[in-house]
Amino acid sequence: MSTRPPTLRVKRRYLLIRIEPAGTIIDQKALHYAVSDAITSLWGDVVGAVIMSAVVASEGHYVVIRCQRGTEQDLSIALSTITTCGDIPVALRVVAASGTIDSLREKIRRVKTPASESVSPRECTFDKKLFQINQYNGQKIDVIEKGFKNTNRLFLTREDLEEL
Amino acid sequence: MKITDACVYPYPCGDSSVRRMALDAKVLGFDRLVAADTPSGEFYGVEVYTGILIRDTSIRDLINRIKRERNIAAVISVQAGDNGYNRSAINVKGVHILRGLHSADKNAFDHVAARTAADNRVAIDLDLSPFLSGRGFTRQRAIQRYRDILVLEQRYGFPLTLSSHARSILDMRAVREIAGLCSLIGMETPDVEMAFFGVDIITSPPGSSVKVI
Repeated sequence: MSTRPPTLRVKRRYLLIRIEPAGTIIDQKALHYAVSDAITSLWGDVVGAVIMSAVVASEGHYVVIRCQRGTEQDLSIALSTITTCGDIPVALRVVAASGTIDSLREKIRRVKTPASESVSPRECTFDKKLFQINQYNGQKIDVIEKGFKNTNRLFLTREDLEEL
Repeated sequence: MKITDACVYPYPCGDSSVRRMALDAKVLGFDRLVAADTPSGEFYGVEVYTGILIRDTSIRDLINRIKRERNIAAVISVQAGDNGYNRSAINVKGVHILRGLHSADKNAFDHVAARTAADNRVAIDLDLSPFLSGRGFTRQRAIQRYRDILVLEQRYGFPLTLSSHARSILDMRAVREIAGLCSLIGMETPDVEMAFFGVDIITSPPGSSVKVI
């Protein structure tokens, strides 16, 4: 199939999305289904077909989502209604929009500097419960409760742990 | 005027500490949070107000509770009930916000309640959690109720507040995202800005009704 001339091609835009919490590993296919479901649920099939969303790239906890030019706002509203991906609770934060994936990749490299660091398992206590520190990111600390059941993830800061 | 999220639930109600919520709120563009059952303070440049939510009480109990809480500098909210209850609650001195109208009866908030809310400077809260977590009928009903509230707001001019009702940092949304969600109910950018400043309006002392020349 020959490619169309530039004037006849569909103009596309790419959104750079940051996935929170940091360190969450998400299957690209599961994310695509979550995005598609959110768009259909909010805007319906007709607008969904116009948006033509697709997860096109993923780098660490950043993903790039494609849409048709002019539908970025609709897509970002739909993305803000996503609360889970599969069974994993997530939040998708729109960082930037661009006409090329390359410029977003460049942006990832620039933004990435204060990256979150996974730490070797270390324990801490908070509210008289034992937790395992999972993720550090500057002031932010994510901890997971130790145990076999009710292993909740808590989002704290360094000061919360220092205070105890 | 500070951009405010009018209700969040930090730990132990939610899974994020108030400091972490404040830290993330700053990144998301907020200047202030109203945190339920949390002492007020300032963390990472974000002001935190104590929020008290009163629900499932009679009007008499509501008045007694507000008398007890009068000395605490807090934002007092009341969960909406039926029409009679809402009209009475709005008339109680010390009530700042009426919440939960998206899940109340269709006629729970009418033009009489709207006029009283404007006179008493009681804000009506637009809870955005049904937009995020709700699907189908739940979300449609919330959109319908909020559109109806906005019609009354444009006529009577009572204050509005916006809240995420976040129990986790993952439920919090950026100011721009909230503006996008508010566009679903027909709010323009200036309306959203005014709603973000709603807590300022209800907590500032009322201006004198008589102007001395």
